[in-house]
Amino acid sequence: MNINNDNKINNIQNTCDLSPSVGTRFIASARNSLRVRGLVCILAALAVMAAVWSTLLIIKPKQETLDQRVQDVASQLRCPVCQGESVADSQATIAQQMRQVIREQLQSGKSKQDIVQYFVRSYGDQIVWLPPWQGFSLLAWLVPMAFLLGGAVLVVIVLRERRTGVAVAGASKTVHNENEIVLDADLEQYRAQLEAELAEEDSLFRHYRTEVK
Amino acid sequence: MTKSALAPENVGTQFIASVSQFIACGVGTRFITSVCKNGTTVYFSDLGSIALILALGFALYTVVIAVLGAVRAQPQLVISAKRSLLVVTFFLLLASAALVVSFLTHDFGVNYVAQTSSRAMPWYFTTAAFYGGQQGSLLYWALILSLFSAIFVLTSRRTPVALVPYVIATLMGIETFFLIVLTSVSNPFVRSAVAPPDGAGLNPLLMDPGMLIHPPMLLMGYVSFSLPFAFVVAAMITGKLNNEWLRAIRRWTLAAWTIQTTGLILGAWWAYHVLGWGGYWSWDPVENAALLPWLTATAFLHSTMVQERRGMLKVWNLFLPIATFALSIFGTFEVRSGVISSVHSFAYSNIGAYFLTFLAIVIAFSSALFLFRLPKVRPDQEFDSILSREGIFLLNNLLLTGIAFATLWGTLFPLISAFMRGQTMTVGAPFYDNVMGPLLVVLILAMGIGPLLAWRRTSLTALWRNLSVPIVIAALCAVILPLLGVIDIAANIGFTVCAFTAVAMLYELWRGMRVRHAHGEAYAIALVMLFKRYRQRYGGYVVHLGLVLLVVGMIGSHYFQLQRDAVLNQGQDTQLAGYRLTYLGNIDTKEPDKETITAQLQIWHDGQLQGYIYPGRVIYRNYGNQPASLISITTFGATDLYIYLENWSGLSQADIHVFVNPLVPFVWYGALLMIIGGVFCWWPERRRVVLPHPQGRDKSGPYISRNKLPEYIESKA
Repeated sequence: MNINNDNKINNIQNTCDLSPSVGTRFIASARNSLRVRGLVCILAALAVMAAVWSTLLIIKPKQETLDQRVQDVASQLRCPVCQGESVADSQATIAQQMRQVIREQLQSGKSKQDIVQYFVRSYGDQIVWLPPWQGFSLLAWLVPMAFLLGGAVLVVIVLRERRTGVAVAGASKTVHNENEIVLDADLEQYRAQLEAELAEEDSLFRHYRTEVK
Repeated sequence: MTKSALAPENVGTQFIASVSQFIACGVGTRFITSVCKNGTTVYFSDLGSIALILALGFALYTVVIAVLGAVRAQPQLVISAKRSLLVVTFFLLLASAALVVSFLTHDFGVNYVAQTSSRAMPWYFTTAAFYGGQQGSLLYWALILSLFSAIFVLTSRRTPVALVPYVIATLMGIETFFLIVLTSVSNPFVRSAVAPPDGAGLNPLLMDPGMLIHPPMLLMGYVSFSLPFAFVVAAMITGKLNNEWLRAIRRWTLAAWTIQTTGLILGAWWAYHVLGWGGYWSWDPVENAALLPWLTATAFLHSTMVQERRGMLKVWNLFLPIATFALSIFGTFEVRSGVISSVHSFAYSNIGAYFLTFLAIVIAFSSALFLFRLPKVRPDQEFDSILSREGIFLLNNLLLTGIAFATLWGTLFPLISAFMRGQTMTVGAPFYDNVMGPLLVVLILAMGIGPLLAWRRTSLTALWRNLSVPIVIAALCAVILPLLGVIDIAANIGFTVCAFTAVAMLYELWRGMRVRHAHGEAYAIALVMLFKRYRQRYGGYVVHLGLVLLVVGMIGSHYFQLQRDAVLNQGQDTQLAGYRLTYLGNIDTKEPDKETITAQLQIWHDGQLQGYIYPGRVIYRNYGNQPASLISITTFGATDLYIYLENWSGLSQADIHVFVNPLVPFVWYGALLMIIGGVFCWWPERRRVVLPHPQGRDKSGPYISRNKLPEYIESKA
């Protein structure tokens, strides 16, 4: 039973690893080159991606129908008589009229920005959903950012404070059998971690580990 | 038995006797009313009023006696508190039954019944009108809280004994607040002198099957956060701040989370199918209010794992349930007070001040306790590395609370602006999209990396080894997507991150299977066993996969929605994204309580007739100025064709709005997966496990209870 189990594990390891019959040092360098190759692959992929994107954007720039553009502008504006609905969503008469105005202005060649500005001039800042990047409403943007930044800084400070003076014991929990060849330390470590976690709740793994011992 | 233990029961039994007499009397005569011996007419609603007052009395009694029992260390008093809590539950059940009976018998003498129901409504909407208005929904809150409290009392055997009285006192303290509101300003049983012949009926927007379950689920979610809060209060008062209270509350939190998730999803579903603006989430203040406690509860679910495993984040774990509960109360306050303009404005009323006061009390009380206990809390272990499971949980908590804070800030900013500058500002969907989008992407990314990290620390090489496969597949995805038409950079990044996380999780699952397979299990059995044995781990992955799917749907509908307005005369057609709609005419159906107008259209796709659709409007007799809409949604694969009848004239002209919503079905599939995962995590595990004998695998191994397992193993090793 014991031997049987060990054989199985060796088999698995053999199939998992790329080069089963050579020394660990060679494997380490092989792994390094593998990592480099991986990085190169990703960089190449990114390059291809960028190329594809730029060509696509040159070949066919983003097309929008008139309805789409009307909707886009209207969704940035708040319906002045409704409770928390945008001009795009509201069925109120004034919202319908505003959509008509947007359509006419777009047809006359005005840009989306100009039209939004036109409504801001006549209704004030409250007409847009997006608080502008200026004055008091800048706070709407800055405070959440400050919160996140502050949180991140706090986490880092707490971590640093605690880490100083804490001696870290390099915990290597893996128990190897003598006739077991350590072929891939990383895979082994991952497996040990997973098994240790799983074993906390499952007798099957516990059983196996005591057997190996 | 002591005096105090007898007192509540005596009153209780006496009352029950009189009530049963009363009911017998009522049913015996004319069903609704009963003319008792002295000749006065007594209604079921009166029974409800009395039950509420008695419930209030018992709730107050419970608070006092539970605290007294804990302070004086007299278990009989605690037992009395438990019993009187059950009496509160009984009276609230009685009051709710009285309200349901009043609804079903159309007792329009009760103002609340007259306001929210009418004779023409089918029985299920009449029953659902129970929580269709403010008074009823508050009664529902109180009822569910008492039911949860009763469940807690009946299953409190394994809860640490010292905590129980304070948990009971906190729960009944909350209950007392609701009962005070219910018996004073917001009593559902108030009668008018003259009963109108018929009621006003429910708001037509609420006359939808989704409404039968969405509000009760959401409210139930709010209520269920009371339990973790009560446990935190109890832990802080008793000073027993170790992991015991966390373990006792873990499944409650999971249940609360699942209920709240379901409520949110149903709300989105309802908005999509009823409101007619082509979306399912609009960052409306009331939606935000429901999302806030969900976010902090999600953060709590993750940070508890860090405390259970590593004994860290103890202070943070005390803070999160308090925040969650306070946000639940804030949500109720916001909906009811109408301080912030919202599409849910039908819920306005005058009880906002009560909720604000209660919120202030909750915050003041728990902050005081919190500051009092803060010096006592020390972590068991220190952080080793940011590159570890606990490190990623910290990031997760930072992001979730960041999202919650930004949402709260955006919701409150108009008020702050009005207060500081006397000018209201508008903060709407574009703001939230800009702020939350990037945070959500980082959150999803962390979700993919997290399971691959070990507790304590992980070496970079090990991490790279674990990440390489998902990264390569995600990069492939990023290259292929633009060729498929995703030329928006933000959308591509979003999809790529989703692909990365989905692959990382499936890969992790695959490796779990491989480990089991190495022990001699077939892959299929290994998969089943993984889910069976490690419910919370793999149930959590299911929730995560659901969220990824949901986010894919969100990205799809946000970036690729197409729309078109069309005014069509008979025989005309309009086209959008390869779908052609031919308009045939309007159909007008008149019924006693409503009139329904539907436009008949044909859908053509790829030159073939795909079917007929009937978008329409319903005009209810009592709500003539708010025609409800019948939206037609046809799903083609992963794309929804969503048609809304904006306006019509006669029988031969229709003004329709057509949306093509790609990937929206994914939102619902993902949501379903999240709920399934939540229920799976929550589902009770077997208490006992069979431990195979170390020498052989015969089935006659001893039965060991789960918490004794470690000692047993040590003794055998």
